[in-house]
Amino acid sequence: MIFPFTAIVGQEEMKTGLILNVIDPSIGGILIMGEKGTAKSTAVRALADLLPEMEVVKECPFNCNPEDVLCSRCRERLRSEGPLPREKKKMRVVELPLGVTEDRLVGTLDIEYALKKGEKRFEPGILARANRNFLYVDEVNLLEDHIVDLLLDSAAMGVNTVEREGVSFTHPSKFILVGTMNPEEGDLRPQLLDRFGLCVQVTSIQDKALRMEILRRKGDFDSNPSQFVKIWGAEQKALSQKIMSAKGKLNTIKVTEDLLEKIVHITLSLSLDGHRADIVIMKSARAISALRGKMFIDSEDIRGAAQLSLRHRLKRFPFEEIGKESEKVQAVLSRIG
Amino acid sequence: MMLFSEFVGHEDAKLALILNAIDFRCGGVLFIGEKGSGKSTLSRLFKNLLPDGTPFIELPLNITEDRLIGGIDIEKTIKYGRRIFQKGLLCNADTGVIYVDDINLLPLEMATLILEVQDKGEVLVEREGFTSRYPSRFILIASMNPEEGNISPHILDRFGMCVLWESLKDKQQRIEVIKKAAFAEIEQSGQRTSSDIGLKKKISSCQLSLENTGIPEPTNEYISQLCLENNISGHRGDIYLTYAGRAWAAYDGHKEVSKDDVDKVSALVLTHRKRMLQEIEQKLDQSKHHHENSPEEHEKEEYRQHAKNPKRDFDRERLNKIETDEWKDSNRQRVESNPKEEIFEIGTPFKIKRMFFKKDRIYRTASGRRTKTRVKDRGGRYVKSVFRKRKDIAIDATLRASAPYQKMRGREDRLIIHEEDLRFKQRERKMGHLVIFVVDGSGSMAAQRRMIGTKGAILSLLTDCYQKRDKVSMIVFRKERAEMVLPPTRSVEFSLKKLKDMPVGGKTPLTAGLLEAYKLIQRVRMKSPETRFLLVLVTDGRANQTMTGTPVRDEIKRVVDLLNELHVTDFIVVDTEDKKGFIKTDLALQIASQLRANYYTVENIKSEFLTELVQIKRKGLS
Repeated sequence: MIFPFTAIVGQEEMKTGLILNVIDPSIGGILIMGEKGTAKSTAVRALADLLPEMEVVKECPFNCNPEDVLCSRCRERLRSEGPLPREKKKMRVVELPLGVTEDRLVGTLDIEYALKKGEKRFEPGILARANRNFLYVDEVNLLEDHIVDLLLDSAAMGVNTVEREGVSFTHPSKFILVGTMNPEEGDLRPQLLDRFGLCVQVTSIQDKALRMEILRRKGDFDSNPSQFVKIWGAEQKALSQKIMSAKGKLNTIKVTEDLLEKIVHITLSLSLDGHRADIVIMKSARAISALRGKMFIDSEDIRGAAQLSLRHRLKRFPFEEIGKESEKVQAVLSRIG
Repeated sequence: MMLFSEFVGHEDAKLALILNAIDFRCGGVLFIGEKGSGKSTLSRLFKNLLPDGTPFIELPLNITEDRLIGGIDIEKTIKYGRRIFQKGLLCNADTGVIYVDDINLLPLEMATLILEVQDKGEVLVEREGFTSRYPSRFILIASMNPEEGNISPHILDRFGMCVLWESLKDKQQRIEVIKKAAFAEIEQSGQRTSSDIGLKKKISSCQLSLENTGIPEPTNEYISQLCLENNISGHRGDIYLTYAGRAWAAYDGHKEVSKDDVDKVSALVLTHRKRMLQEIEQKLDQSKHHHENSPEEHEKEEYRQHAKNPKRDFDRERLNKIETDEWKDSNRQRVESNPKEEIFEIGTPFKIKRMFFKKDRIYRTASGRRTKTRVKDRGGRYVKSVFRKRKDIAIDATLRASAPYQKMRGREDRLIIHEEDLRFKQRERKMGHLVIFVVDGSGSMAAQRRMIGTKGAILSLLTDCYQKRDKVSMIVFRKERAEMVLPPTRSVEFSLKKLKDMPVGGKTPLTAGLLEAYKLIQRVRMKSPETRFLLVLVTDGRANQTMTGTPVRDEIKRVVDLLNELHVTDFIVVDTEDKKGFIKTDLALQIASQLRANYYTVENIKSEFLTELVQIKRKGLS
């Protein structure tokens, strides 16, 4: 039994950030900064659990979407056997452990198979399992450098191309990257920060009543999980439907020229590198507006999107302190109408 | 769908790609620019301009050497009982394109290999019992973000063209970019693709007219002269400029290549070559600084001002800016306190000279970016397979080694592996260090606000540590004792805060500072014996406080002897003494020589941005 997403108290920013990524996975993941024990991994797991099943090619280890780019194996199968059989699968949270090796991440030669049969076969790695799922990296700042490079390489392309140890293989690897970090334990290079679409900061809740509510719900859940899940069933279903309908109408949402200008105004006045910030603000504003059930993006959506997309991008140099920068954002945001 | 011809801005980058598509002898192109500015996006759109079926290979960072060059095909070799070759990506790329994103993150050996093949137009295979050569002519497109680390000048020089780019600043253009990126999937393609199809057709017709595009003698002369004037080393500049000029002439519909055609492309070909030269010039200029401007100097100067492409210098400034701008606003704040104990602001930091470490053969588990080390555990990049035994068997290489013998050994079901087939993985990763700053916080450092420059120097060193993934620690000695203000950490944020708040005032217990560092090194070694250390001593050398009552210099000598016994430690001494002052002690210099340390003054530790990128003589550990 998984704790229901809707029963998580507080941490609204984090919850929104996660939901927006589900609505539009091309937003590019989320970085969660903050202390231990702030329901980070609970929230991710709960959200995965909340979502309806997705359609995948039957028995494909890469969860290929029958309607999208296929892996080498499914392509072969399509050619020789015709239309691919389908099945339904739940979205999962795949974890990336810190000590992961390069070959386990990207996949490699299937050694057992090679020894037994004398034939080559690709053994899928973590990036394969992560396709169309959440990829959860706890303490991403402690991950080894070359692993991070590989991770971002395929995150950027949505495809994992493996060319190693005698095997060549390509499979889709589109995942929602969720990274957590405790900034006191070391930094993430600004280049890596920039690759995360959104960034939220979580702190433990200080409000006494809310803290008690957390305890109460946790207690209820632990003593009778199925009962608890049942009670929250209606809310869960409502949210799930809301998310799926937002996802469905994402492409129909319109934006006016002057709102685009506002986005550019924000990023230009903060003199941000690159266009990623512009694009992410746009995409998340669109997702927010879809979630709110509207047809047009408005300034409020953009403000909300900017809050989530800018925090980690302002830190243009490792030594700059984050605090001062968020004041700058507030100042710029308050100036836009 | 996005289109190449509709890509917003970056005309020079688009031109470079088009010229390469017209004539692959243009030598490929390297895009240098900040993150998220569209380098990869444009490179991938390049596909649209190539004839259908042209190989377009994106080189993944996870590539191993056997897949790059080719090697034994295990499956077929076992089946047929003789060695059968499986082509690598370099062979497959023949007549096509290889695209390397973040080429500066690719292991140096791989990058060198790729460029060598590109230069020769063929792959020489000499491995696993094969000796053969395959044609491999391809257009190499690569991108890099200089913040992630630099690229060897040899590699840089191999690229026919280089484009420096930054994100667009024009509002309207930026809006266009968002629209294209965010709504790409919704828009109808249909007739819109026609612009790319048109460009594609034009390119293939240019390829035909290329041979008929003549290069008259004056243009040839002009090219050589241009390269000579710009002091372009080697002949690659001339050659690539000729090809690029011709490709442009064909593209622009000229019958022969004019000087104007050459001018049009010279920035693409010469920017990255000229930069090397500028470095030398700068050094030369510095060394004969006291000479009056000689006539030749004057001429050179004049040339520089009349440079055919003002953009060149602009580009350089731009790159410099990327580095320095980030510093400007931050770190200016100054905290006042009582006059005896002052806190100084941090001076403007700068790119520092490369810090060298001796290589050793200890196997380690550390991670970082400074020095390459052999790796003991199973992390790190699997570089190649070796015969030498260790725990980490390279199964792929072992299988390849055993494959040809399977028939002979009478394999029925499982593979028969003999001991002599075993190969082992050699992994490598760059190792971090603990960098210990031992900083003089005594009153004498406050004189003439010397502390500001000193803090700037320390901050620069910290930046370097950050890029190389070192841990840092800081010890400050002042008044009666030394204090570890920053225990070993990887967080630069903390170090910055400590640096900012570092007070100055009181006597100079230099010995105490060094001793504290010594103790720290011993402690860390107990816990993790593989760590390497770099001790950076920052002082003006006016030691005047003893710990034991013995003369200061004797006391220092004793600690220095202790430190010298640490074989895992390298030393840097940054001397902040005012060398123009009346009383020089040069004690810092003496300590440096006793420690065999790299010795710098605050002034000469500075080095220009990009020195690493363009250093001609580089013996570095890359």
